[in-house]
Amino acid sequence: MTKDQVEILLVEDDPEDLELTMRALSDEHVCNRIQVARDGEEALDFLFCRGPYSERDPNSHPKLILLDLKLPKVDGLEVLEQIKRDPRTQLVPVVILTSSRQEQDMIQGYHLGANSYIQKPVDFDQFRTTIKHLGYYWLLVNQPPPEPAFERGVFHESALLK
Amino acid sequence: MGVFAAARDITERKRVEDELKELNASLERRVAERTSDLLAVNQELESFNYSVSHDLRAPLRHIDGFSKILMADYGGALLDDGRRCVDHIREGARRMGRMVDELLELSRTSRRDVSKQLTGVKAVVAEVIQELKPDTEDREIEWRIGELPFAYCDPTLTRQVFVNLLNNAVKFTRDRKPAVIEVGQIASPGETVLYVRDNGVGFNIKYADKLFGVFQRLHRREDFEGTGVGLATVQRIVQKHGGRIWAEAELEKGATFFFTLEPAGQRHMEEPELATVLAGNKS
Repeated sequence: MTKDQVEILLVEDDPEDLELTMRALSDEHVCNRIQVARDGEEALDFLFCRGPYSERDPNSHPKLILLDLKLPKVDGLEVLEQIKRDPRTQLVPVVILTSSRQEQDMIQGYHLGANSYIQKPVDFDQFRTTIKHLGYYWLLVNQPPPEPAFERGVFHESALLK
Repeated sequence: MGVFAAARDITERKRVEDELKELNASLERRVAERTSDLLAVNQELESFNYSVSHDLRAPLRHIDGFSKILMADYGGALLDDGRRCVDHIREGARRMGRMVDELLELSRTSRRDVSKQLTGVKAVVAEVIQELKPDTEDREIEWRIGELPFAYCDPTLTRQVFVNLLNNAVKFTRDRKPAVIEVGQIASPGETVLYVRDNGVGFNIKYADKLFGVFQRLHRREDFEGTGVGLATVQRIVQKHGGRIWAEAELEKGATFFFTLEPAGQRHMEEPELATVLAGNKS
């Protein structure tokens, strides 16, 4: 784990929501290294070291992805699907952070393998508390997958042998 | 002669049969059209709801968030009046958020399919009162629950009716010591008429037609909190069951809300043992 490893990849298109989320993250001292992607394509480029991110170290993974659903270019659920389908990225926890509490979105999100689904509260104090708990849990309490785990896919046969 | 008469009859009968077939076919077509229209309207409602839930919430979040940041970063420079303004801005956003949630809930309730089944009203009411206990611990409330029947209704929606009516009764009897809340049934042939009565502040009967309007309120917000969707929801549910709801009240004396449900007995006449049991319970 390198010193400048990105801890959180925040995928958010709305500029005001972005500012409020960044403010909440900083108010609650959640972490320092936040990478922002403003649409689905940028998120995937970052994660798969493509396009403007082709120089990025492919062995470096964020500890957490905060994913909004309604994104331009590539939709949030599609981003989720690609993340969870690829062995290089499928182990990174993805927390869906969205306005929507539509059942369809939740069903799809969970089916595609989201680790958590959070509806952004309207009240900013509540939002900050939510972000604080999120950050604390996923960055401090939760043990991220160790590097060797990324070397093989989830359904690789040898993972089941022991 | 007989053969020609018979032939004429057969032709006549064939003509009538053909007409009937054509009529049926045209009715089927119309049903299909209406069904497709209905599906289209439902689709539109779905997207409308999605917009309400998703798109309206975002600017509300922004209003609340940035006014909070304004307070945090510049509160000192704002002086008391300025801070009060920001509080009002935030309260407005929060209230609208609640209204958005309640509208959504109301719309979901309206679109729910009513799943009627044999329901013990007494058990439903007992459950709702039990759930109100934590909120009424410090209150002096006399609950008078009469003999309540079985009815043929959707248990979840019926529960919602009692949640809303009893919550209102508890709310509007806040200053009564004791508050007296009654739930009972009045005799009415062919239908089950239930009522919830309280000895609270009541309302002026001349505004009765506003009672069930969405967001319509008959009391000042500073006197009694609430967005005014509770009774609209109750009315929708009762109407979806094919029933009716009405109220009687007097200012400062209290209010009674009546509503009808389908009695259990009628639907279950084909189950003789059950019908006997229900008939026995009616006293």
